[in-house]
Amino acid sequence: MPYPEALVAPMRAELTSAGVKELKTATEVDTFMADKTGTSMIIVNSVCGCAAGGARPGVKLSLQNGKKPARVATVFAGQDTEAVAKARSYFADIPPSSPCVAVFKDGELVHFTPRHMIEGRDPRTIAAELVKAFDENC
Amino acid sequence: MGTFHDNKSALHGITVVVDTKGPKVYVGRCDDEDQEKVILVDADIHEDGANGKTKADYVKRAAKFGVWKKYDHLVIPRADVLSITRLGDVHEITVKAEAAKPAPAPVVEAPVSKAAAVNGDKPIVALSEGAQVEVKRLIVEQGDKPGVGLRLGVKGGGCSGFSYKLEFDAKKDGDLVVPYELFNVYLDRKSTVYLRGITLDFQQGLSGKGFVFNNPNATNTCGCGESFSV
Repeated sequence: MPYPEALVAPMRAELTSAGVKELKTATEVDTFMADKTGTSMIIVNSVCGCAAGGARPGVKLSLQNGKKPARVATVFAGQDTEAVAKARSYFADIPPSSPCVAVFKDGELVHFTPRHMIEGRDPRTIAAELVKAFDENC
Repeated sequence: MGTFHDNKSALHGITVVVDTKGPKVYVGRCDDEDQEKVILVDADIHEDGANGKTKADYVKRAAKFGVWKKYDHLVIPRADVLSITRLGDVHEITVKAEAAKPAPAPVVEAPVSKAAAVNGDKPIVALSEGAQVEVKRLIVEQGDKPGVGLRLGVKGGGCSGFSYKLEFDAKKDGDLVVPYELFNVYLDRKSTVYLRGITLDFQQGLSGKGFVFNNPNATNTCGCGESFSV
């Protein structure tokens, strides 16, 4: 059951205020992924502490890098379930986890940070791994 | 770093590998642990040798991608536990170990067409000259229908976990296209993550194996070369 929207609104805003596009429906995800040119990134957001303490600040830090994906979007696990399911369909045969981050280049998944590489880690460490992927692919 | 619940162990909420003194290894999120037991949620169990994978093979793959949840809740007696390791630490150890490996001796491979390299980038998949000639011969043999190319993919199964898929097919929506001079190679996007960097060769003659995949992503390959794990 989704959390009350008032509770998750700040969690959404933490990313959207950094310029991340929010995708709330399966159609919006398909539209985002239809553009296969260049690099893109999808963050699966969530209500858990790992997202608050690690993933969201880590992603925001990484987006300060000179090289970064041309298009960045987020879906919210547990809240916008159809959008999340559609996003995961683009993640190859990888077990679902949240939060997580997927980086695509020319429509192909080139980097994936699963939950277990976020939990218990500080934002700078998470950002460093993403920046490495950005420098290699963007 | 803390896990936000003072009344739980330091590993609460952390995905861990629980190795046992027996054949089983568990991967899941630690709910709690004490002197008597370890409690995991959203967990999976692997038995050494199942699906052709040792515990180490299974944990290595789990460290890269995670695990499919098969159990909501598991209680593991502490007496059975050999070690508890953060799955994220396993991934870091694996990455550092692979980075520290000495560069392999150069291998003389069948020449690969320059068409496989796009804009100087490493090709997604590469076909040797011999493989290209054989593929084109087979396409012609089958009527050389317009739009038909070589589809490469992976599917679950085989003695090592995954099997290669090699077939003639038309392009489908969402396919990645690798153009060659005489035909196109099509990859579905889900398979690409497992096939990036492979070379497909063709060994003919009485002692030749036919089409041979050289996959840098594979950690294990079965004897016939048709199945692999990552």
